[in-house]
Order: sequence, then C-alpha cells, then structure tokens
Amino acid sequence: MSTDEVQRVGEVVEASTTDFVAQCYELYQTPPLGSLVKTMDLTVELYGIVYNATTTSIEPGRRPIARGRDEASDDEIYRSNPQLLKLLRSEFSALVVGHRQGDILYRYLPPKPARIHSFVYLCSTEEVKEFSQSFDFLNMLINTHLPVSTDELVAACLRQMSQAYEDRHAFLVAAGKELAILLGGEFNQLKSILGRIRQ
Amino acid sequence: MSLDLTKVAAQVGGMVARLKAGGAERQNRLNHALDVLHNWSADLELLRAKIASSKTTWLVAGLVNGLDRCHKAPPTPAEFTVIATDGSHIDVDRHKSTRCNLINIGSVILHYGVSPSATLDSFPCLYFGDEELVIMPAGVRGREQPIEGVLLGIKRSVDECRQLANLAAELPPGSSILALLDGSLILWGLAGQAYPEFVTEALLEQGFLTYLDEIRKLNRDKRIALASYISFPRSTDVVNALRVALCPHEVADCDRYCASSEKRDCDMVAGVQDRELFSAILEQGERSALFISQSSIVQKHYGVHQVYFFYLRVDDEIARVEIPRWVATDENLLNLVHNLVLDQCQRGQGYPVALSEAHEKAVVTGADRENFWQLVELSLVDEHLPTLSSAKSRSKRTRWV
Repeated sequence: MSTDEVQRVGEVVEASTTDFVAQCYELYQTPPLGSLVKTMDLTVELYGIVYNATTTSIEPGRRPIARGRDEASDDEIYRSNPQLLKLLRSEFSALVVGHRQGDILYRYLPPKPARIHSFVYLCSTEEVKEFSQSFDFLNMLINTHLPVSTDELVAACLRQMSQAYEDRHAFLVAAGKELAILLGGEFNQLKSILGRIRQ
Repeated sequence: MSLDLTKVAAQVGGMVARLKAGGAERQNRLNHALDVLHNWSADLELLRAKIASSKTTWLVAGLVNGLDRCHKAPPTPAEFTVIATDGSHIDVDRHKSTRCNLINIGSVILHYGVSPSATLDSFPCLYFGDEELVIMPAGVRGREQPIEGVLLGIKRSVDECRQLANLAAELPPGSSILALLDGSLILWGLAGQAYPEFVTEALLEQGFLTYLDEIRKLNRDKRIALASYISFPRSTDVVNALRVALCPHEVADCDRYCASSEKRDCDMVAGVQDRELFSAILEQGERSALFISQSSIVQKHYGVHQVYFFYLRVDDEIARVEIPRWVATDENLLNLVHNLVLDQCQRGQGYPVALSEAHEKAVVTGADRENFWQLVELSLVDEHLPTLSSAKSRSKRTRWV
C-alpha cells in the first residue's frame, strides 16, 4: 500500500486524556515505533505517536508455551496450530500529541479522550508533513514518563517523520535545532537523541 | 478459614497409607486380568457367546474383532478439518426472582493443510418461560419435568450436538472432517428409570440422536467421522468381559449363582479399570480393538448410532474414544477418527486441541455467573419489575460477623 493511502491499523480499546491503546486487526501488524497515527472522537481528530507495542495472549491466565521443538521454522508452528492467530493479540499505545477541530490543527491535548472502538489510521505522508510543520509536539514527548525511554521515542518519531520529506536531512537538522533549545541543560540527553537520528 | 486443612491432613495420610498397602494386590489383579485378556483372545467366539448368554449385574463390553489387538495409527491426511463443541451452563437459581437458565456452547473449526485457518466462537442461549424450562408429554397436563440439574446437563449435551451438526453442515463438500464431542456419546443421565419415557423421547430421540443422524447423512458429499473423547476414563466394560470369562458357570448369572456368595472367582480382577489394562498393552499412538457398549439405553434407543468404543494411548494417558456404529463399521472413517484424534492430542499437549479451545470458549466462570445475574437484575430494574431474591441468597452475598 502506498504511504499516501490512509491505512487502518487498529481500533481503540483503552483511552485516556493523554494516550490510547489500540488492538490491531492482524496479529503483529503494529505500526512502527514513533509513527504518527490518528483516531476520532466524534468531530475531533486525535493525533498520537506510537510509543509501545505488545503481542500477548488474549486471556491473561493463558500464557503461550514453547511449541517448536519438532518444527522446522517458527512459521510452521502457526501452520500446525492455526488457532494461535485467534488466541493472541497485538496492541499498540499512542501518546496523544495533538488534535484537529474543524480545519485547525492544534499540537496540544484535545478536550476529550478517544472513543473506545474508534478506528485508528496510520497518517498519510501529507498529514505527517502538515503535523511536523511545527515541533511543538516534541515538548510533550520529552516531558512524559513512558515505558520506552524518551530518547528512543523522540529519535524514532523524528526518523519516521523524516521519511515524509524528500530532504530528510534538512528536516532532521531543523528538529535537532529545536531539541537543542528544549534540552538546553541536558547535554547528555541531547547527544543521545542526536546520535539516534544521525543519518 | 472455612476449611481447616490441619484437621484434614491426618485423614489424607490415612487414605494414602491404605492406597500404598493395597498396591501389590492391585498389581496382582492387573497381571491376572492381562493373562485372561491374552488367553481368551484365541477363543473370541466362545467368549462372545458366553457374554451374550450372561446375566450380569455390571456392564459388559460387547466384542467385535478382538480383545488384545493393538492397531497402529494410520497416516494423517494432508488436508483435514476438525470441528468440536463444548458447553457450560447457568442453572435456574431458585433464590432469584427470575426463572431462567443459560447454556453457552463453545465451537471450534480448525482447518489444517495448505491454508490453515481457525474459527473460534461461542453461542450463549437464554431459556425462559415454561415452554423452554419444562418438558411436557404431548397432550397430558401436569406431568411436566423441569429442565434443571441433571436434566439441564443433558439438554446441554443435546445443544452441543446440535451445534456440531450445524458446523458440519456448513463445511464444503469433499472435506475430511473429524467432529468431536467431549465426554460420552451415551446420555447416562437418562439411563435406568431416572426420568419418564417422554423425557427420553424429547431429549434423546428428538434431540441428540436426530443431530447425530444429521451428521451421519452429511457423509453423502463429505467424509465426516464423529467421535467423543473421554480423558482418564474410569470404565470397566472390558474388565467386566474378563469377569464373564472367569465365571466358572457355563452361563454367568450373578443373581442366581453369586447373590449371597462371599468370594467369587471373577473378583480376581475386581478393581481393575480398562485404562490400566490397556496401559499395559498399547504403545504410543496405538488403539485397542473395538468394543460395543451394552448399556440398556444404547440398546433400546440408539439404533444405527449404537455406541462402539476403543482405547487410545496418548503419551502417558489412555483415553476412551466412543464412536457410533456407522463410523465403527466404515474402515475409512474409523481410521480417520484414530489418526485425527491422535493428531489433535499431539498438537494439544495430550488433549485434543479443538476440544480444549471449545471448552475455553464455553466456560462460564464464577465471575461470569455473577455478572449474568447482575445483568438480569439491572434489566428488571430498568423496566421497574420486582427483583426479589431470597434472604438466604442475600446473606451469602453480604457476610458479617
């Protein structure tokens, strides 16, 4: 599928003001770490950055067991046990970093969280370009406590967004300058992020 | 603490000591049973005739084509489908204001081969109103039988079979299918004089057997074998056949010869179970010879679905697999049952994976039960209907000191 087509990647199963969790329709089809996704709350479009993904048993009490002792490949395990695809689920979490109301795009939290069962889409190249016209959202990423380290997330997000631009380098340089301002007193963190986005 | 385990511990110790002391005796009986099994294998016709003429107080397996024969598993087909159903229920609660019950049927379709796939689903069904909660004989009022307790369990078996027939009917022509049920094909709850004939008529003749028949008729355009799987069986049908073999009387007649005698020759194999017997002779994946259940309910009602069974070794376990006559007498279907049940057990860590998943879809937990009654009560409140429950039920929910 071309990146310009809107791709539905899941459905919201948990939502709060600051983030939402979506379940994928297909096992393992989680969007990449740091990618920009969007969902709806009636008339408001919510934008989120994917910060975590998991694949687990659908029932907490049923832990997967090792099955491949006699199989030639891990694909064979799924072929021999077709029920596995129905007993596991892949989910991803996204940090809400902005919203669109009417024609206006805001790079801060929306008034209400996403609705459960709202579809989640991977943003198109055009939407990524539009969203990343301003780096205001970086402040939210840096100041949030998440299971994934901030450095990894910020770097992954910028790498993902840079793919929307023909001149990726120019985009990353601009982002680096913004980070230098935001992380003025945090030289080590700045160095760590820049090291992760260097081409 | 409601159960004082320290008080139980001493009693458990006594029980274990008794088991330990009887170990050698049990082994002797098992060895003796094995000797009898092997010795009579050559005189099958004689034993068959003796069983036919015997009048015993216990259930004796009918013989088909052997006693101690072992059959290796035939090769598994490249493409096949396994379907299975299992059920769970919430019984009528006499402490609640609303009289209703719920049966939840879990169903599984697993397709193996070039394009493997799985469909796991559940079908909850709420029963309410007299027409659904009681069985009445046609045209006679006042002799109604409430579908509760054991009878609800039987109704559940009927629903499991109906769902299995529905699944089977939807599968494409030309498929090789194993249709699996959990437990016995024999509705034991209806055996004996437990319920009036109209109950057996409604649940067995017009229910369970009708659906078995639907599955049988599907064999016109697909290959479908039906079987039920009993894990860790406690049956003694085959050992009881050995008891007949051991009987010194020409015609075994328990009431006539042994009504008052203290020690009987056949007691030499008493306490041995079929699974112990076959555990000693079957190798991994092998099945035993076929046997026929002689239970009166089967003889009287089952007809073409007369229940045959064999034992199957899966790792350390001996399972009992029951099949209707139309499967037992068709070598292709019998082989299909043998290799696909074994294959399912191997994929499912010793227990058929389709049954295990059907159970997972069907199971109604304690929390589900609570939520169900809460839903019923909330719906009643919404409609301003009374939600009275018994004082006993309230006292159990609100505990105090």
